[in-house]
Amino acid sequence: MFEIFRRLWALNWAEQWQYRANLLMYLLFWLVSPIVYLAVWTTVAQSQGSVNGLTANDFAAYYMVLLVVDILTSQITIHVLAPEIQNGNLSNRLLLPVHPVLTQVLVNNIAFKALNLIALAPIWLALYLLFRPALNLSALHLALAVPALILAFGILFLLGSALTLVAFWTTRVWALWNFYSAVFMLFAGHFVPLALLPPVLQTIAKALPFSYTLHFPIQLILGKLGPQEMALNFGMQFVWLALAYVIFRVTWRAGVRQFSAVGA
Amino acid sequence: MNALRIIGAFLKLNVQVALAYRSEAVVQILLNLMWLGWELTSLAIIFANTNELGGWGPAELIALLGVWRLVNTMMSIIVWPNTEKFNQGLRDGSLDYTFLQPANSQFLVSITRVELWRLWDFVIAVVLIVAGLGMSGRVAAPANIATFLALTVSGAAVLYSLWIVMIAVTFWFTRFDNNVTILAALMDAGRFPAQVYPFWLRLLITFIIPIAVATTVPLQGLRGELAWWEVAGFLALGVAAVFLSSRLWKAGVRRYSGASS
Repeated sequence: MFEIFRRLWALNWAEQWQYRANLLMYLLFWLVSPIVYLAVWTTVAQSQGSVNGLTANDFAAYYMVLLVVDILTSQITIHVLAPEIQNGNLSNRLLLPVHPVLTQVLVNNIAFKALNLIALAPIWLALYLLFRPALNLSALHLALAVPALILAFGILFLLGSALTLVAFWTTRVWALWNFYSAVFMLFAGHFVPLALLPPVLQTIAKALPFSYTLHFPIQLILGKLGPQEMALNFGMQFVWLALAYVIFRVTWRAGVRQFSAVGA
Repeated sequence: MNALRIIGAFLKLNVQVALAYRSEAVVQILLNLMWLGWELTSLAIIFANTNELGGWGPAELIALLGVWRLVNTMMSIIVWPNTEKFNQGLRDGSLDYTFLQPANSQFLVSITRVELWRLWDFVIAVVLIVAGLGMSGRVAAPANIATFLALTVSGAAVLYSLWIVMIAVTFWFTRFDNNVTILAALMDAGRFPAQVYPFWLRLLITFIIPIAVATTVPLQGLRGELAWWEVAGFLALGVAAVFLSSRLWKAGVRRYSGASS
């Protein structure tokens, strides 16, 4: 199994490396909205000292960490898998003795992530020098962030894959993805730290998986969480990982049965 | 009028396309309404925590959202679909047929594809602008409204010209099919007044990719914040942009030699 992943990595890394110019464009797209929100909230915080106890520096630190966490936990499964389902190329992969999504698509996601991180590093440094947030990082919190980030990626990868599998039934999977993205942005803490959402929305955020995949790792790295909150959030991550896995398995089984490749 | 007949022909074609994909249009309209909900929610959250953003109140930001959506609608009705068509034509040579037509080529590449059902977005944008103005409680002087309209048109003209420049550059660098990405990526920055951004970002969206000229500036005109010479300057910029971009387009077309040669 290790050998399979090693080969897949070599393949996918080469493939992603080939599209490095596209990757820079993708990065540009994806950087703009966090920087806009950073600017908006620091302006608000500066004009009145603080917002709900958060200073301009808190916002800058939050969004600077968000840039890294979001790359580490996000997934591009729909871009990889939906075309394969729609043009029928998935048939070839189904013949292989390994699960196509949990090997090929997974490794492709990780290769993309690795290249993105390399490209982000100089941009992040430049932004850091422009905004100069005071970051209080501790080795303990960074160490705890590692499992939190892995779990978060696991949850988002499985949910994103399950959503992509809807392409087995309908060609409208992109519209669904659009909707999912909007829900994600609001409830994951992409737009604003969750403490600033109205109480109703905060309650909804706690019931959805997204805050545990973005907001929790950020707050963990920033050292904003006590031991009890950490334990609770880790617990929720495990619950959501299990749930996401079940959702993914069920959709996959039903979807493959439904699948009839183009031309068949 | 020849130009009107051409527009009429393209519109007819695009109506047929739109009618063939009716359910797609319904889905897109619903998605657009969802994004509108998102945008208004985000404004509500911001103003639950503050009274003003960079000196602008909630009503003015709703109007700004309307102006931003107006520009965005222009982009999604003609600019993005025609870019796709243009880049494809440049790659496979089908652009030859465009240049063979006895009409202005810049005009043709700008209106070949029109996503008509997005006209609905115009309605939303206008409603937002009117509602924002109504909520602000201040009665805009007729002169300010006229300034606002003129600046909106000239701001849109500046962005349209920038687009023409970006695709015309592709005549020299054929492999550059990310030609409009930076414009598309920065559009999001137009949702908030340029004054809230750090200096370098304001510089970028005012002078280099002038999204603020089409969003923040018209609203400043409406608020009566601009001196007459500033208004004149922005209007002159619009005229100059249209003129220079069409010159560059013509130079680019002269360079064009088809995909195979």
